[in-house]
Amino acid sequence: MRLSYIAPRKKSAFTQELQLLLTFFTITLLMIFLTYSFLLFKNYTFVQDRNEKLVEKENIMNSIDAMKVQIAFIEKQKALSEKVYTKNTVLKDSISNLFDLVPMRITLSRAELLHNGLILYGVTPNRDVYNFMLQAPLRSIFHRTYSSFYPTENGWLRFVSTNYIDNEELVDEE
Amino acid sequence: MLDNFFESLYSKVLVNIVVKRASTTIYIETCSKSTVLNSAEESFDSILLNEEMVSFVKSFTKETPFFYISILDMSDDQGAIPTCDKNRLEHYYDIHSSEYKCYDKKWTYHTSKTDLYAIEKVYKKIGVDYIFSPFSMLANFFKDKIETTMAMYILIQDSFISLSVFDEGRLLYGEHLDMQTTGESDDEMLSQDISDDLDIQSSINLEDIDVIDDMEALDDFGDIEDLDSLEEIDEFSENKDIEEEFYEAEEPVIESNENSFNEDYQRYSLIHTALGHYYDDEKYESQFIESVYIADGVGVSTDLKRYLEEEMFLSVYVRQLNIPMEVAQLTKMELGL
Repeated sequence: MRLSYIAPRKKSAFTQELQLLLTFFTITLLMIFLTYSFLLFKNYTFVQDRNEKLVEKENIMNSIDAMKVQIAFIEKQKALSEKVYTKNTVLKDSISNLFDLVPMRITLSRAELLHNGLILYGVTPNRDVYNFMLQAPLRSIFHRTYSSFYPTENGWLRFVSTNYIDNEELVDEE
Repeated sequence: MLDNFFESLYSKVLVNIVVKRASTTIYIETCSKSTVLNSAEESFDSILLNEEMVSFVKSFTKETPFFYISILDMSDDQGAIPTCDKNRLEHYYDIHSSEYKCYDKKWTYHTSKTDLYAIEKVYKKIGVDYIFSPFSMLANFFKDKIETTMAMYILIQDSFISLSVFDEGRLLYGEHLDMQTTGESDDEMLSQDISDDLDIQSSINLEDIDVIDDMEALDDFGDIEDLDSLEEIDEFSENKDIEEEFYEAEEPVIESNENSFNEDYQRYSLIHTALGHYYDDEKYESQFIESVYIADGVGVSTDLKRYLEEEMFLSVYVRQLNIPMEVAQLTKMELGL
C-alpha cells in the first residue's frame, strides 16, 4: 500500500565506502587469482618439462645401455682382433722363423699349416742334410715329428715332414 | 537479488520527523525486520532543519545505507475528498496544483505540490523518503472503528486538526484545519455570533406572541405519540462504545489549565465550524453524527471532550496518539515490515 506522497529514494548497500572496499578486495582477489593461475601454469609447465626430461633421461639411459653393450661388443671384437693380430704376428714370426730354419741346401715346395701341426714338402740333397739341418730344429718346436723320403730322378730326395703339437699344450696356451 | 541479500544483512533506521508549532520532534527507530532494536526521541526548538538535527539524524543513519526519513505533512493546503474518481475530484477541490493519493480505492487525500517541494527543499541536507498525510495516519490509527462505525474522526496535532467523517469505511467529509491561521478569524466569527445572538432588535419579544394562535399551532403536536418512545430515546442515549470507554478509562486524565482551556476552546470552535460546513455544504452526503473519535496527539484536556459532549451532544472517545511513533508505523507499512 502506497501512503506517501513521494516515492522513497533508491537505497543500495553499495555505498561509496563499500564500493571502494569491494574494488580493493576485487583487485586483491584478482591479483591473487592471477598469481595463483600463473603459478598453476608454471607448475604445469614444470611438470611437463620434468616428464619430458624423465622420458629423455630414460631414452638416454636406454641408449647408454645400448652403447655399453656396443662398447662391450666392440671391446670384445677389439680383444679378438688383437688376439688374432697377435696370433697372426706369432704365426708370421713362426713362419718367418720356420723359413729361417730351412737351410739353403733344402728347397721347400709346399707347406701346410694345421691347427696343431705343420706339414712340409720339399727337396733335400740327402737324408743327413735334412736330419741335421731341418729335423733337429723341428723336433725342438713340435712334440711329434714324422718324416718320409722318396728319391727323385736326379738323385735328390723328396721329403714330407709331418709335425704335431699335442692338444694339451695347445689348450694351455689358449 | 544481491541488493535484497545485503538489505537483509543491514538493520533499517526509520527517521520520523514531526514539525510542531515551535519545535520539531525527531523519533528514530532502528529495526531488524519487524523487531525494534533501538529507539530515540529528541525535540529541537526549531521548525527548520538545523545542524543539531542533522548531526542527531546522521549519528543513526551513518550506521546503515537503509535509512528512511519520513515527515508528517504540515501543509495548510491539504484535505480529503470522498471519491477516487479523477473526474469527480474537481467537484470537491481544485487539484491542479495538488498532489493526491487514493486510499484503498475509496477516498483521496491531497496536499499542495508547492508545500511538498518546500519540505523537500528544507530537508535537502538529509533527504526525504516519505511524506505522509495526517488523513492516512488517522485512517490507519482508527482502522478498527472506521470500517464498522459511522462517526467523526479527529486527529489533534499541536497546531492542526484533521477532521474526517467516515461511514463504514466510506469517507463522507474531510477537512484540515490550521489553528494558527483560522483561529483569529473564527474567534471574530464567534464573537460576531454572540453579538448577533444578543441583538435586541432581532430578538423575540414575548409580548408580541399571540398565545391563542400559538396554542392552535401546538395542536399539531397531537401526533407526538408517533415519535420515538421515551425508552427508545434512552436506548439512543445509551448507544455507547463500551470498549472504547473501557480503553479510555485506562488512560490518565489531563487536567485543564488556562492555556489548555483557550486552545481546547479554539479546537472546539474549529470542529464546530467544520461540522457546520459538513451539514450545510450540499456537495457532501450529510449523515447525522453521534460519535466522535479523537486521536489526541498533544494531550488535550477534558475540556474539549466536555464541550463536544455538552454543546454538541456527541459521544466523544479520546485515544492517545504518539504522532512520531504513528509516522514510524506508516513507514513500516510502506516498507512492508
